[in-house]
Amino acid sequence: MNVMITGAAGGLGRAMANECGRRGYNMFLTDINEDGLLSIRRGLERQFGVTVAAKVCDLTDPDSVDSMLAVIDRHGIRFDMLLNIAGLDFEGSFMGHDREKVVNIVALNDAATLRITHAVLMRRRQIGHFTAVFVSSLASMFPMPLKATYAASKRFLLDFATSLRQELKDQDANVLVLCPGGMVTRDDTIEAIAAQGFLGTVTTNPLEVVARKTLDRALKGKATYVPGSLNRILSFTGKLIPRSVVAAVIHRRWNHAQEKWLKNKCCTPNSSLKQSIH
Amino acid sequence: MNSIVVTGATSGIGLETVRLLAGEGYHVLAVGHIQTHCEKADRDIRAGIHDAKIEWYAADLMQQREVIRVAGEIKSLLDERGDGKLYALINNAGCARSWYMTTEDGYEQQFALNCLAGFLLTHELLPYLLKAKGRVIMTSSRSHKGIKVHWDDVMLSKRYNPLTAYKQSKLCNILFAQGLNDLYASEGLRAYAVDPGLVNTDIGNKTAGIVDFVWRLRKRHGVSPTVPAKTYSYLCEHTKAPTGLYYYLCKERSYSKQVTSESAKRLFALSGQLCGVHYGKDAKR
Repeated sequence: MNVMITGAAGGLGRAMANECGRRGYNMFLTDINEDGLLSIRRGLERQFGVTVAAKVCDLTDPDSVDSMLAVIDRHGIRFDMLLNIAGLDFEGSFMGHDREKVVNIVALNDAATLRITHAVLMRRRQIGHFTAVFVSSLASMFPMPLKATYAASKRFLLDFATSLRQELKDQDANVLVLCPGGMVTRDDTIEAIAAQGFLGTVTTNPLEVVARKTLDRALKGKATYVPGSLNRILSFTGKLIPRSVVAAVIHRRWNHAQEKWLKNKCCTPNSSLKQSIH
Repeated sequence: MNSIVVTGATSGIGLETVRLLAGEGYHVLAVGHIQTHCEKADRDIRAGIHDAKIEWYAADLMQQREVIRVAGEIKSLLDERGDGKLYALINNAGCARSWYMTTEDGYEQQFALNCLAGFLLTHELLPYLLKAKGRVIMTSSRSHKGIKVHWDDVMLSKRYNPLTAYKQSKLCNILFAQGLNDLYASEGLRAYAVDPGLVNTDIGNKTAGIVDFVWRLRKRHGVSPTVPAKTYSYLCEHTKAPTGLYYYLCKERSYSKQVTSESAKRLFALSGQLCGVHYGKDAKR
């Protein structure tokens, strides 16, 4: 099994790569962070003895993607699985961030994901089953003020993946879309989850479980995976209530949580507004 | 002047140990996680001990490339300013987590920092320690008792229990000290594990939910970190190294029956594979 993993040096990417390593899959990893990419490659080889190739790539840059594809083609690598993990998020209001920073969320989460998905599907192994995984979010189920661009970019992935699944159904391929709540991928996500209080803790999904079950379900041919029973209830409820009401409720809650979080942040150094709730 | 490396040096047990050792006239090479915390700790110690000889290094020891980098800096200093001898290495840096989180290498964080970082740093500094017939001291814990090492899934990724991961890493600290003694005691190197007891430090601050609750309970009746610091100083001060393995309040204590030379060997093989190093003849200069 040859697997392409994007965003492999991040928290979820590493967890997915570990899960693939445990299953004995060979991997082609990519990420924009070169040091991180080399570290995870070395760690996987040492832990599992699998074959791992890695290439730094800025997926938002077509030239960068082309030079990575040239390496893949030179070695004749063909894939059985694609895990689209690379993604980006900034908390806060739409007008609270620089223009290009906001646009970059869509450039990576959506445009770059389409670019790499197309490229890898062109390079799928001729014989055998193919599996693609997209990482959407629980946020894709609702309009989310203060995470507006992010939630909408994840909605794009949810709808795209669901449609692509139908297109590829008769070509021996399955597409699964993962919609997790919060996941603890970095130190500052712990603070962000704590700021959301009880609801933050109970909607948080254990990374290692998400990684394992995502692969299990994708290989079983499932279409979507919302980890955690409470998250499944939340996503179902979101479909029953009018979207404008959902938006108002979420706006109130996030406003409160972010204020609380920012207040704590003022007292600690290295404050960052990044959070990787997928 | 004897040089001693202390990791996890900017707070808690590490900070008080650096203060005590610097006061006793050792040349301390202190490794902390964050540069600003190193600067603060330095000011704090120098306020009391004006002529303290301390060098500070900031490194995130959870990441193996950071361990290698800081070991390189320490080795250069020992070569340039000293006689190439390292009198003691105190592997004290540790963390507690409430979720499964990985390092850049993809290793579970508690295992990576509490266990592998000390394994790799000791390996890198081994020639200097052997030259000095030095000592290696691990910060273990009483919580190592009552559990076994999960050899088939040492990072507990199949079923993660954060408290089990912590306890296991502390058991591995004693196994590591045992393994070092098995390999190098005949050459004059001695390794120890210290049980600091219940101490009121910052560990466990980056946790939430039940794990946070457990750590708060643990620390509530904790003593000041100046208390365990004395045990580290005790293990460094004798001209003839003490021969025990596990110490609490400057006295040898009993430890888990899980600590055997056979398990230690197994830990060395596993850690060696995960760090890409091998303890043995090639580790010497």
